[in-house]
Amino acid sequence: MNPDKPNPNKLITLEQLLQRGDIWRGQSQGFAPQAALDSGHAELNECLLHKGWPLASLVEICQPAALNGTNMVSQGEWLLLAPALRQLKEGYTVLLNPPALPFAPGLIQAGIDLDRLLVVAAEKKADFLASFTELARADICTALMAWQPKHNLSYTELRKCQLACSEGKGLYLLFRPLSVRQQSSPAALRLRAQLHLRSLEIQVFKQKGSLNSANTSIHLALPETWLPIAAHANLGQEQSPPSTHSTNNVSSIKRAKRKVP
Amino acid sequence: MKNRLWLALRLPDLPLVSFPVHPEEQAVCVLEKQRVIYANTAALGAGVDIGMDVTRARLLSDCITYQRDMQREQEYLEQLTAHLYTFTPYVHIRRSNIVPDSGLLLEISRCLKLFGGLKNLCGKIATAMADISTAYGLAHTEEGAWLLSYDNSPISGDENPADFIARLNHVPIARLADWRDEVEALKRTGFNTLGDISRQIETQSISSIKKRLGKDFADFITRLFGIEQNFQQTALFEKPVQTYQPKEFFFDTMQFDYPITQVEQLHTPLEQMLQQLGAFLRKRKLACQKVEWRLFDIYQNSHHLSVHCAIPQNTWKLFYDLTLIQLESQQLPFAVDAIELTCQHLQKWQEQNQSLDFSGRRSKNRGGNDLALLEGKLKARLGEQAIFKVSYKDSHISEQTCEKLSAFTPVNQQLPQIHQHALRPTWLFENPLPAQYRQQTLSWRGTLQLLTGPERIEGYWWAAPKARDYYIAAREDGLRVWVYKDLVEGSWFVQGVFAG
Repeated sequence: MNPDKPNPNKLITLEQLLQRGDIWRGQSQGFAPQAALDSGHAELNECLLHKGWPLASLVEICQPAALNGTNMVSQGEWLLLAPALRQLKEGYTVLLNPPALPFAPGLIQAGIDLDRLLVVAAEKKADFLASFTELARADICTALMAWQPKHNLSYTELRKCQLACSEGKGLYLLFRPLSVRQQSSPAALRLRAQLHLRSLEIQVFKQKGSLNSANTSIHLALPETWLPIAAHANLGQEQSPPSTHSTNNVSSIKRAKRKVP
Repeated sequence: MKNRLWLALRLPDLPLVSFPVHPEEQAVCVLEKQRVIYANTAALGAGVDIGMDVTRARLLSDCITYQRDMQREQEYLEQLTAHLYTFTPYVHIRRSNIVPDSGLLLEISRCLKLFGGLKNLCGKIATAMADISTAYGLAHTEEGAWLLSYDNSPISGDENPADFIARLNHVPIARLADWRDEVEALKRTGFNTLGDISRQIETQSISSIKKRLGKDFADFITRLFGIEQNFQQTALFEKPVQTYQPKEFFFDTMQFDYPITQVEQLHTPLEQMLQQLGAFLRKRKLACQKVEWRLFDIYQNSHHLSVHCAIPQNTWKLFYDLTLIQLESQQLPFAVDAIELTCQHLQKWQEQNQSLDFSGRRSKNRGGNDLALLEGKLKARLGEQAIFKVSYKDSHISEQTCEKLSAFTPVNQQLPQIHQHALRPTWLFENPLPAQYRQQTLSWRGTLQLLTGPERIEGYWWAAPKARDYYIAAREDGLRVWVYKDLVEGSWFVQGVFAG
């Protein structure tokens, strides 16, 4: 080796290496600040390393299947994501391989701008992967919500998705069934979402840069209209859930009022 | 102006070109707004008249009637124009808004020598027009030629402007169909032929006509006779004659030295040909939305490939990407020996306004182009129906309140007051899934507990009546679904999932 010619490897110092955002530094959490989008849920923001949904990274959300044997996974995803999506004032939100038809009246009520919502149907795995990488790299796609096709994605395929996400600037979410939770994944953030009778439980079980997230679990409140009707005896004391033409409730309230002396 | 010579080709049977041919004795009428605008000889013989009501025409002649097809007529005239372009570059279509007469006007003074004189040229044009009956008119002005086409005077080859003016002087003013009010006014004052108007101009100049009948009519008369309006000074410049612009298209072909079997080997030739297309489009300020590829092998077998994009393009890059996506998804059917690129439908390039952008933020136009690029790439891979938007549509029936639109169509997001607070799911099953109701328990892949409802939705009483009671139900695993009881059938269905 020519002694006059500087060796490029020798020029990289430890300090320079530590300035990189992707070097794991144990539990110190000394990561370079990463762009994040406020999730709109204060409790969830507290659990997330960058106080919001990490941008330009793959976020994996594992949910129980609503319809067995299909890719129909749906556990309050709009409830979880609508506050963040409402903040995006530019670009398009793209739904890739959604589990059912997005219902316009429901989405308008949730405050989603339908003019900036695109649906892309890609059921085959090869098409899904090509579309995912294309969308993640496109500047105009500021949020991507993708539902894994019927055939499970391998680690290599997920890695391709993660790499494409790192080239973009948006919010990239991949919904997968709960059964893959034990499998390894290169996603920067992995969550479990599970609806209960009174709350939506979110458990962060992997977060790049944090070892303490394994047991982090929070409960998000459900809208009042989703809650079960109050017990018959309590109807007089408690306000009943609002409903447009709730004839059952009206008759129950009438009956309850008669009981009150 | 005195050097010009116009040939009018009037097509009295043009309304018939769109329809099948019938025997001569069969009466045929073409209608527009329930009035006869064309009647063939048999129909005219039976007493049908132009402008007659359709019912009267049918009673008189038992005729076959057709609705006028203006678009087909226009296409036919454009075809003829392109054909007659071989004789003269000065050819244009003449259509009247009031009467159905249409035809073509040719300025032929500058091609007489080339075709061996007027008679020879007219003979050649008559051969070209053999498919349709044509009335010919020759004059020194465009308007004059058109009016004289009704006389069908024979063309001798040695006519001069004085002859044309003499012929025009005999034309009755009733033939000026586009000037109904003016003709009525002239008739009331005793004018019967164009000769009367001509004499009036000679004695009192055009200004008296202009004063009484308006500037437009006076202009028309000057154009008709080819006279100067301003007698003090002749016009410095003649009105230029309209030149026919033939439809432009792009075609390029490339022959390879050896047969190509790998798609990758095609990349460079495709890029080169598309770059040439891009240069062609930019030079002519044109854009296109679709290109066609044809691949050939040495036995002249061909394979066709069509590439579309949503927004007209004048650069090659997007077409290149879309072509590669299409080629990636399929194998080459044979070893490719030659390749052809055709672009038939070209349109004017709409320059986009670029506003000064001091903030450094991207303009909205850029977003539109990016979307076109993305949509084009995804459609090339997934098909035309794969990418869409959802929009609200006013309807009583739930599944009909959501419609799919293309990515560039603006959506309707205005929910009526009545639906703003009604509970609607975020996912909809286009085909509702049956739920089971046994022993007073409702179940769908788990027991369902009704939470809120019912909301009764009724409609379609005029077709298959629909009456449904909708509820929100919670499944035992916490999933909120939108269920309804069909009040007509008495069965339960799950139609949607609440996810937010």
